[in-house]
Amino acid sequence: MLPFLLRRTFGAIITLVLLSAFTFFIFFSVGDPATLACGKNCTADNIALIHQNLGLDQPVPVQYWHFLVGIFAGRDFTLGHCSAPCFGYSFATKQDVWSTMIDRLPTTASLAIGGAVAFLVIGLGAGLLAAWKRGTLLDKTVTGASMVLSSVQIYILGPIVLGIFVYSGIMAAPKYVNLTSNPASWFMGLLIPWLVMSTIFTAQYTRMARSTMIEQLQEEHVRTAKAKGMPARYVFLRYAWRGSLIPIVTILGIDLSSLFGGAMITEYTFQLAGLGRLAIDSVKTLDLPMVMGVLIFSAALILVFNIIVDATYAFIDPRVRLS
Amino acid sequence: MNALSTRRAGAVIAALAAGSLALTGCSSGGGTGKDKSQTDKDAAGQAKVVPLGTSDQSKGPAAPVAGAQTGGTITVYQRDSFNHLDPAQMYVSDMRQLAKLIFRGLTTYKQDDKGNQTLVGDLATDAGQMSDGGKTWKYTLKDGIKFEDGKPITSKDIRHTIERQYASFITEGPTYVQQWLSGAGTTYRKALPDGPYKGDHLPKSVLDTPDDKTIVFHFKDPQTQLPYALAEAGYSAVPDSDKDTKDKYDVAPVCAGPYKIADFKSGKSMQLVRNTNWDPKTDPVRQQYPDGFSISFNHQYSDYTKRLMADQGGDKTAIGFSNLVEPSLTRQVLTDASASKRLVQGYAVYVWQMNMNMDRIKDKRIRDAITYAMPNAQIVRINGGSYGGENAGGLFSPTVAGYEKGYDPYGKLKKPNGDPEKAKQLLKEAGKTGMKLVYAYANTEIRQQEAVAIADALGKAGFNVQKKEVDAASWYQQMGKVDNGFDIYMTGWGQDWADASTVIPPSYDGRTIQDGSSNYSHVRDQHISDEIDKIKQMTDAKKQTEAWQQLHHYIVEKVDPASPIYYTKVLQLYGSKIGGIRYNIEAGYLDVNTLFVKK
Repeated sequence: MLPFLLRRTFGAIITLVLLSAFTFFIFFSVGDPATLACGKNCTADNIALIHQNLGLDQPVPVQYWHFLVGIFAGRDFTLGHCSAPCFGYSFATKQDVWSTMIDRLPTTASLAIGGAVAFLVIGLGAGLLAAWKRGTLLDKTVTGASMVLSSVQIYILGPIVLGIFVYSGIMAAPKYVNLTSNPASWFMGLLIPWLVMSTIFTAQYTRMARSTMIEQLQEEHVRTAKAKGMPARYVFLRYAWRGSLIPIVTILGIDLSSLFGGAMITEYTFQLAGLGRLAIDSVKTLDLPMVMGVLIFSAALILVFNIIVDATYAFIDPRVRLS
Repeated sequence: MNALSTRRAGAVIAALAAGSLALTGCSSGGGTGKDKSQTDKDAAGQAKVVPLGTSDQSKGPAAPVAGAQTGGTITVYQRDSFNHLDPAQMYVSDMRQLAKLIFRGLTTYKQDDKGNQTLVGDLATDAGQMSDGGKTWKYTLKDGIKFEDGKPITSKDIRHTIERQYASFITEGPTYVQQWLSGAGTTYRKALPDGPYKGDHLPKSVLDTPDDKTIVFHFKDPQTQLPYALAEAGYSAVPDSDKDTKDKYDVAPVCAGPYKIADFKSGKSMQLVRNTNWDPKTDPVRQQYPDGFSISFNHQYSDYTKRLMADQGGDKTAIGFSNLVEPSLTRQVLTDASASKRLVQGYAVYVWQMNMNMDRIKDKRIRDAITYAMPNAQIVRINGGSYGGENAGGLFSPTVAGYEKGYDPYGKLKKPNGDPEKAKQLLKEAGKTGMKLVYAYANTEIRQQEAVAIADALGKAGFNVQKKEVDAASWYQQMGKVDNGFDIYMTGWGQDWADASTVIPPSYDGRTIQDGSSNYSHVRDQHISDEIDKIKQMTDAKKQTEAWQQLHHYIVEKVDPASPIYYTKVLQLYGSKIGGIRYNIEAGYLDVNTLFVKK
């Protein structure tokens, strides 16, 4: 296990460095952030001054090197010392990038975890039920509903739900409240975003759980267990269910890492200030340090989740051995 | 003045990004079908030179608001976060609204219940004492004025406020005073390259503080507009102490207004609480009725409009500083019995115009043809109809002194959808029928819709239109390039204060042309430059306004560098438990200084 983890961690670091270098270098082909901080006197002199203030007057490879050094060893800016991991200060707001991301993380994490609980419980439950009752009216209803729901996008469903429940005064508008300060407000504030965001996922997980379970139920070892006279419920949960988890865990790992990186559309629809919203705003304002910070943070999460998922396979299915 | 990247410009850019800038509705009373949008009669009060007030008018406290109650917190929904908290970097509308609550400068605007404005002393005892034909201005500070930490505000703080604007980290705020004191363009920076931070100061012959209470400005030329410039948020007082942390001040400023910042999470929220060191007896315009303001960001116009229309729970005490009614929801708002009673409206300061690149279109007959062809009414309709804008006949907004109702040399009011026949005839006379015209527009929904109507109208007039879509975020920077590669493009311009000196020189003086200049049409006309110099020397406000008016006629009729398209209007909603609502003419939005929470 340890060599596996070390090898995957090393690969993840290489991936992050390549990704950050690629993003850093192509960023400058998108636009000049100085033009957005130029004010009325947007003359060549003023642009040059802003380039100097932002450190953009140096060659791009030098800027990138300083950026990398900052992550591992910290950096000094005119705004003060920035301790490692230092992603610098926002061009647009002069806020510390790392602190800003840490500030936004609880919103995104709450959204991701709550949403995941919702779509796993509802989606897997419905999928298992449909597989258990395969061919019945219940199965057809669940399958049909998941087909419909999987085609409803958050940016369509979100405003409809807001119109029905929020703008009518039935429920308060979604907002993030710190879990530790007021758990009830935290739950109620995120309930609508969780349910709306999990709709598409629920539908997908329902279909996936159903199909993998049906597949597993036709496996030889499951048939053997049944032939040996084991109770149907026991076979269903002990043999088939376990085998069906591998593809579900794989997809869950990818989905969770994406959600932790920022559920952009959900955050945008419900005015939640998480990492996804931060990513959108940073791109719009050509805020290089913030773009790089969010990108690396999100990419790191995806890589970590992938490693965890791979490691989890061995626990789920004893036939899998990590090497 | 201001264009794009200035305060107003910032709002224009923001509007571009949102897709529109439309608005307007009813300040009171329901709207059920009848057009109650504002007309230029309503704007008449705005299009006047704001008189300078006396020392008596500059005294506090401000007149109480009828029925006002203290206490409660006002919720504020804003689309965009505040990018700057350093007043010297504040130039866009939303931040100027914030500045009215937390900062104070030497002068400010006072507005009465009838909408009459006076420029009065804020930290100063009056609007300024002018001498030497406008070359010298003296200000005396009031007693009892303090920063939030209790430290008295002295003349040294005001000198510091001006001198720090020369430092290299200040790049976005107004530059009027620095340029008047030390040189045009960015040359003023050479007078104090490090600002005051290394112990250097402007010479006493330029900026003098003979005692703790007195500040004297010495200019080379008459600067009759100084009191107005000093009312800009950018010149709000900054302490001459270690609390001015240079570029870090942008995240931790020291307040002097009735409220101070208790908490700010960029992109998320801001909490304002009472500043106990603000003395109402020193302040002629601000109130401190609510306990505080709870501001949250990321509220698109549609969300803001729907929440305030619904008026449920906490939204009853909600407003937007600069959020506007979503244009597509205007009709719904106006026909809603409750929401239509909770509207505030007024003319905004922007004039949208179709700039013609005079380096590429040298024949005036072709420029006239374009002006005649413009489908103004269609463009107004796209921007929210009569509640979003008004067909423009000239390049002066109804909010600027010198605006003339009915001025319409190209018959845009008589033929609001353009005169393709006249345009065709002019193009034929110029021998350019079928001429290729490269038309740039920003890639927002509204501009894309406008582009269809404009290209169609120009096509009917005999032009071969080549449309080019340009990124909205860098729109003004791209249009500001001398060699931008386009023939025509729409820009919005709004004055910084109601004087044409903030409109004509920045937009039509050929000496300003360089990359980044706001002379988007590249007007090079010696007569205009000469007249600008001549008018700036005048000290009589009335004669000055008349002279600007004549120059405006010359520009529109003899040069025609830009086709007037439409004047913009503002429409905002507020919650049912908000009192003290009125339109602030100078801000161009609701007045944040008179609000209270009804119990």
